[in-house]
Formats: sequence, structure tokens, C-alpha cells
Amino acid sequence: MTLSIPFPSEQWFAALAGRMAERGDEFRSLGPVNCTMVVKVDVDIGSQLIEVDFEAFEVKSIRSLASLDSAKPDHFVIEAPLEVWREMLENIRANESPDLEHTLNFLTFPDDPMVVSGPDQLKTDAFYRYNESLQRFFNGASSIATSYSA
Amino acid sequence: MARYTPDVQAGLDRIREMAKGNFDLGWMDSNPDGWGHKVAPGPSGLRMVDIETGHYAPKAGLGSSAGTMAPRGCFIPEDTPPCLDMYVLNEMTEIWSENAAALYDEAVVRQWNSVTDIPWDKLEELPEDLEKAMCQMCTGLTEVEFVAGDMPAKWMSRINHDFHEVKLFLATQIMDEARHLDVFRKRALANGGGLLSASPGQEELLAAILTAPDYTTSSALMHIFGEGFVLTLFRQGEFLAPTEVEKRIFRLCMQDEARHVAYGVKHLQYLIERHPERANEIHALLDVGEQAIFKLTLEPQTSEPRAILAGGGLANIELGMVRIAFIYRKQVREYLNRMKVAGLDRSSRITIPLEVPVEELVA
Repeated sequence: MTLSIPFPSEQWFAALAGRMAERGDEFRSLGPVNCTMVVKVDVDIGSQLIEVDFEAFEVKSIRSLASLDSAKPDHFVIEAPLEVWREMLENIRANESPDLEHTLNFLTFPDDPMVVSGPDQLKTDAFYRYNESLQRFFNGASSIATSYSA
Repeated sequence: MARYTPDVQAGLDRIREMAKGNFDLGWMDSNPDGWGHKVAPGPSGLRMVDIETGHYAPKAGLGSSAGTMAPRGCFIPEDTPPCLDMYVLNEMTEIWSENAAALYDEAVVRQWNSVTDIPWDKLEELPEDLEKAMCQMCTGLTEVEFVAGDMPAKWMSRINHDFHEVKLFLATQIMDEARHLDVFRKRALANGGGLLSASPGQEELLAAILTAPDYTTSSALMHIFGEGFVLTLFRQGEFLAPTEVEKRIFRLCMQDEARHVAYGVKHLQYLIERHPERANEIHALLDVGEQAIFKLTLEPQTSEPRAILAGGGLANIELGMVRIAFIYRKQVREYLNRMKVAGLDRSSRITIPLEVPVEELVA
């Protein structure tokens, strides 16, 4: 029996980082990723924040944040309600990669249902600059049994 | 009459001396300050930013005044002839960006190709209106990408060799733009359609970029303004893509374009911090660029294909216009935000509307 890992949690992103490490050649072929992504999951009682720091071809660190003030200065934020994250991740799990309407860019481009933001535009632009790599990072969710709790 | 010229005769005399064991070897000790430099690779490999330190680090101000092609940090003999007048961009502020080396490192590793990295076998036959809309988008983007390669190509050969980080970054941009031209042309020709209409509206903006009076204004117009708008169009392309083929094309192009924008923003920031008096002149050029892009936005061959894709077909083009109305607003907002990072606040000076009242137009 496979135990599911709760999303969002440091443990869940550590599992995703593990998938990235296992597919090292794929990420090397895409090129280095040097950015800090904060995943903001909105739930009924507030938000949960997980900071994922990428360096070169792997995840350097993962940590929960009490607030965005404690995030690294050079970060961008991807924000959505839990149910939107859930739909995206379940779509990836069902297809091993997202269908046309569940890519990170598709979900964020109209600022609804996901929003990308940052301390300034250049930090936000990192989401565009590393988009293919970030998409493949989340595609690793296809092999992670996930549970969702508010 | 001598059989050889004096230069050849001197060379032969030198060969005779070497044959006797009389070597110069002065070059071996020519650059003591630059000798002993050692660098270990990091997690990303051995990057340019790793090696350009100490004696070899870039130095602010004027580049090599010798006007030679000598690489930065080497010994330049006094008799090295400054034989060319072509390197006219000799002041660092004219071209420099603190992220140029890092962007070059990133660009060379993140290269991709349209031959094998796009899943062309997944192209699907589309209804004629959608195929025409996609082909028109690709025609327009091919037209733009030609110029986005020509601009850095025009200026690269004029940059002092001491600023090789910028020259090398611009070389990657030229390759990026060549690939974009190639991939959009390929998409237009690959699926039963073809190229459609060129854009007179684009000509005005592209001409302003190519004829800008100096590198910085040309860069501000292209890297921040033009490519910032195109970056949003690439995001839009991914959003509207009818198959995984277009999704991949636009995602990969988006990454490249964001590097170019990042260079432009940091270059302008570097210049404005040191020469705030240049701000008005750049503002004036941006006034012109804004007018040109606004006209372009409303041109049928630019706006209508996107509305057709957004609406899911020609029958729903009005709905598509409403759906994509936010794109213009997003382009303008991000443009203003990038200018602010660069140190040029255009929020009170912008000459075009912050949004297009599409809902009124279709009401």
C-alpha cells in the first residue's frame, strides 16, 4: 500500500525534488534553474506558504514560511486556492503531464484561477524564464500519491 | 631585384635565428598579474561568472583604449596597432548590464532546436479558421523575430572587446531569434496552411528600433518594450495553443524572450543610475514606440487571429475579443513595471490607454 503525502507540505515538495533528481538528465537538457518559487495555497483559514529554492539542476532547499516577509528577496509567488492546486495536480496524475488547460502558464496567464506575482516585475519574469523547467518539475507529481487537507 | 618582400625576408631571418636556438619567449612572462588564476566549477558547471574575477573582472568606465581586438586581462604590447575604427561603443554604461554574463551562461545551456525538440508528430489537422489564425500569428511573429536578431547584430560589432560579456550575450540572442524565426515559419508551413499577411503596423515599430540613434534607446525600445510585449504574446500563444506542439513552441520561446527582457531592464537601470540626464531622451523614444505598438495592437492581422483562437473559432470572434481584452492591459502593466525597475517611471507619462475598452466595442 502506498502512503499518500499531504499537499501542501515540505514533505510533498521534498518528494517532488526527489523526482527531479531522479530525472537529472532531463533537467540538465533543459538548462539550469536559478530562482526561488513560493507556492501559496489558499485555504479557508488563511494561506500556506512553501518556498522552493532552485539552483542549477536541482532543488537546493524547501521550507515552510510563516509569511511572505520571510521569503528570500529574489522570489516569485504562485498563488491559488487549494482546490485549484488539487485539480492541476490530479490532472497531471491522470495524464502523466497536464492536458492543454492545466499547464502552469494556462492557469496563470489570465490571473485566474492562479496568480503569479513577485516583489518586482523582474522577479516575476523568472517564472517565464524557467517555465518549461518548472512545468516539468510539477509534472513529477504524476508519481506522487497525494492527499489534500485544508 | 629581391625575391621576397621585406616582411617575408624578416620572417625568414627570424626562422634562421630560431633554428639556431635563439627564441624570444618574452610572452611567457608578459602578464604576471594575470597568471595563477584558478577556478573550480560549481553545481552549474564552469560559468563565465565564475572565471571573470580579480585581474580578469570587468572594470567600469572606458574599455580598452588601445582600440584593439585584444581580450580583456591580457598584456597588450605597445606596438599593437589600433587598426580599426569600428569599436565605437567604448564606455561601459552604453551597453553594460550586471546580469549579462549570467544570462549568457544560462542561454548557452538552455538552447533548444526546432528540429527535434518540438513534438511535430503531434500536430493535428485543425478547422480552417483556427489553422488560418495560427498561421497568421506565426507570420507576424516571424516578421518580428527577423528584426529582434538584426538589432543586436547591428550593434554587436561596435562594442569594445573589453565588454565581451555583452557581446556574447547578444550573440546568444541572435541565435535565439534565429530559432524563433525558424520555428514559427516551420509551424506556419507544417500543417496544411502557410504564411498569410505581413503587418504594415509592425514596420513602424520595427523601424523605430532599427533606426534608434544609439544602442541604449534601441535596446530600451526592443529589449524592454518590444520583447516585453512579445513575451506576453508568447504566454498568450501557449494559453491559446490548440495542440501540444504549439504549447511547447511558445513555452520554449517564452523562456528565451524573458532572458532578453532581463538584459534590457538591467542595462537601462545601469545607465540611468549613472546618467540620469539621459532619461528624457529615452522617454521621448518610448513615446514614439508606444504610439506604434498601440496602432499595431488594433491591426486586424494582429488582433483578429488571437480573438479567433480565444473564441474557439471565427463564429465566436466577438467572444474571443472580450476574452483577450485583459492581454493588452497585462502587457501595459508589465511594461510599466519593468520600466520602474529600470529606473524610468512612465506611469504618469504613458501616451496610450492602460486598457482597451473591448467590451464597449462589442456591446
